[in-house]
Amino acid sequence: MRELWTMTRYDLRQRIRDRSVIIFAIIVPLALMFVLDLVLGDLTDPELQPTAVAAAAPAGDPLAAALVDVVRALDGAEGLDITVRTAAADEVHALTRDGTVQVGLIVPAGFGAALQQGRATEVTLVSGGGTGIEQSIVVSVVRSAVDRFSAAALAAAAGAEAGLPPADLAVIGQEVATAQSTIGFTEGVASNEQLSSTGALVAGQAGLFLLFTVGFGVTALVTEREQGTLARLKSMPMPAWTIVTAKALVSFILGIVATTVLLSVGGWFFDVSFGSPPAVAVLIVAAVTAATSLMFVIARVARTSEQANIAQSIIALVLGIAGGAFFQITAGGWVGSVLDLNPVSAFIRGLGVTSGGGGITDLGTPLLTMAGFTALVLVAARLIPDRGAVR
Amino acid sequence: MASGDALQGASGPDDVLVAEGLVRRFGDLTAVDGVSFRIRRGETYGLLGPNGAGKTTTISMVAGLIAADAGTVTVAGQRMGPAEVEPKRHIGLVPQDLAIYPELTARENLTLFGRLQGLAGAALTQRVQEVIELIGLTERAKDLSKEFSGGMKRRLNIGIGLLHQPTLLILDEPTVGVDPQSRNQILESVERLSVEGMAVLYTTHYMEEAERLCDRIGIIDSGRLQAEGTRDELVRLTSGADVIRLVGTGDTAAASTALRGLPTVQQVIADRHALQLTVNDAPAAVAQIVTSATAAGMSLADVEITRPDLESVFLHLTGKALRD
Repeated sequence: MRELWTMTRYDLRQRIRDRSVIIFAIIVPLALMFVLDLVLGDLTDPELQPTAVAAAAPAGDPLAAALVDVVRALDGAEGLDITVRTAAADEVHALTRDGTVQVGLIVPAGFGAALQQGRATEVTLVSGGGTGIEQSIVVSVVRSAVDRFSAAALAAAAGAEAGLPPADLAVIGQEVATAQSTIGFTEGVASNEQLSSTGALVAGQAGLFLLFTVGFGVTALVTEREQGTLARLKSMPMPAWTIVTAKALVSFILGIVATTVLLSVGGWFFDVSFGSPPAVAVLIVAAVTAATSLMFVIARVARTSEQANIAQSIIALVLGIAGGAFFQITAGGWVGSVLDLNPVSAFIRGLGVTSGGGGITDLGTPLLTMAGFTALVLVAARLIPDRGAVR
Repeated sequence: MASGDALQGASGPDDVLVAEGLVRRFGDLTAVDGVSFRIRRGETYGLLGPNGAGKTTTISMVAGLIAADAGTVTVAGQRMGPAEVEPKRHIGLVPQDLAIYPELTARENLTLFGRLQGLAGAALTQRVQEVIELIGLTERAKDLSKEFSGGMKRRLNIGIGLLHQPTLLILDEPTVGVDPQSRNQILESVERLSVEGMAVLYTTHYMEEAERLCDRIGIIDSGRLQAEGTRDELVRLTSGADVIRLVGTGDTAAASTALRGLPTVQQVIADRHALQLTVNDAPAAVAQIVTSATAAGMSLADVEITRPDLESVFLHLTGKALRD
């Protein structure tokens, strides 16, 4: 153990003096987070623009008024800024054309009566310039409201045909129009496993660069083989396993520190909370262990530090991209199953759980995934012939 | 003198290293094929051979870096192998490559390997300081070794091997790529160690180094120890005779006749302006030869003595030059 700690301590000292580990494990990923947030932020987390709606509804028609009120009620919901101005039907097209409003809504005369009698009627939606998401929301909400009113009117008509008294018909119509959906949507907490787009960006970059960071250990091992220090270490009076274990320990420590810094600084800069610190710590340890296990494979495959760098970069990019370091990838079937075994995606998924309020006990699947990955890689490392053995 | 295939005589109490029947294969290539030798306390043993002869592979087995496919290595009475720990306390390995950490200072390099060798506390501090002075890096002890010259790095490389005062110091071509001044310093250091009683295994493809440093030399080629012995024993494997070449004018024919009559001269080959004499002991015979040639009417312009060396021995044993 004394030798193990001595080698680890001196190796860490060299890594810190070399500075490349600080640059590539912390500074570069943080810079990349900022750049990607600037480039991808608008795509993944769009900012809603204020939207003006010109609504023309016949006077004295309560259903038409209710329809306009539905649109008006959107203002302030989920960040929407909707202003509804009343206009005459013949003004609506002009207002949308000249850009005064972005959406026009024309409710025809006799709208309420038509619905109540089960007759066809036509609500006109006029889209102004642009294809903003706000317009789509307004259109979608109006369509939904009209469908519900239609359903209420049809229910009332059916009641009338069945001979129900008018008072009952009004109640039925009212109940259908205002009934709650039978399908409930509850915002998940521990089960949703979804990070915000910025949170996914921070977690993804931390997971991706973790794979590069642990590579410093394997690069050091292969470099030592090239420069002759490995031969000298092997001639020292200590068990051979302490050498590789020391390198793995260096990778592990660097991985823990770098990932913790990236999640902390990235979370602070981008205002992302990853939830319970103990749960996040467990995830980091599992992810770093899985990433470090790759070191043993690369160390056996690579003969030179150049080969080690290339192999490490390829593995890091493939696992990082497939794991959702840049974009979330959704796939089904066996491809999806393979992608699910990726420690980067398991790490991101785990952080989704913790950010939603989950604790250590909710991390079963991500932790098992990373443990399974580690076991598979270590078995593979045992089976692969050592191409760089000393002659 | 022994051929390399088998050790002669029983292992003695002074034997620091006994390598017996070492074989190592890499795929179809047999890099080392039945190499046996031993080194006694205070003895410097040279493994002389060209690049690719099997020197480094032999050293790797002796130092316990790789396992032998056949044969055994015993260091200080203990069986050596990659998984062994105790016998490694007795060896100091100086690899051919500069096995030092560039991002550590000279003192840190020494301290790191000293700790790994089991030194600690005041003993470690004292020994590190002694070695720093020994290798002449006192002024640069706190500098990162990446800032050192090639010669300084070589000296540090050797210093690490000496740190724990091993019973057996293994030097694998320690002067490759070194300037003449540093090379001389290194050779002087090795000579001093031998005097102090350390056993040294020294590999080289420089004949002059082997002749200067080694008490006994093993000539290795194509993975086999072709012969071993002292320099003189090896030289006797060839004819053992020296050559004196006399260059000049005058009556070379009369000189040739006169010289043939001398008891130390075995053979005289004459051409127009030179005589080539084969003699037993050139330094002892040269004065009489020069006097006789001059007396016979030859006016000498140059006298050249050529003694058989390890190069000749290698050529004799393998049919090729040492630097092929």
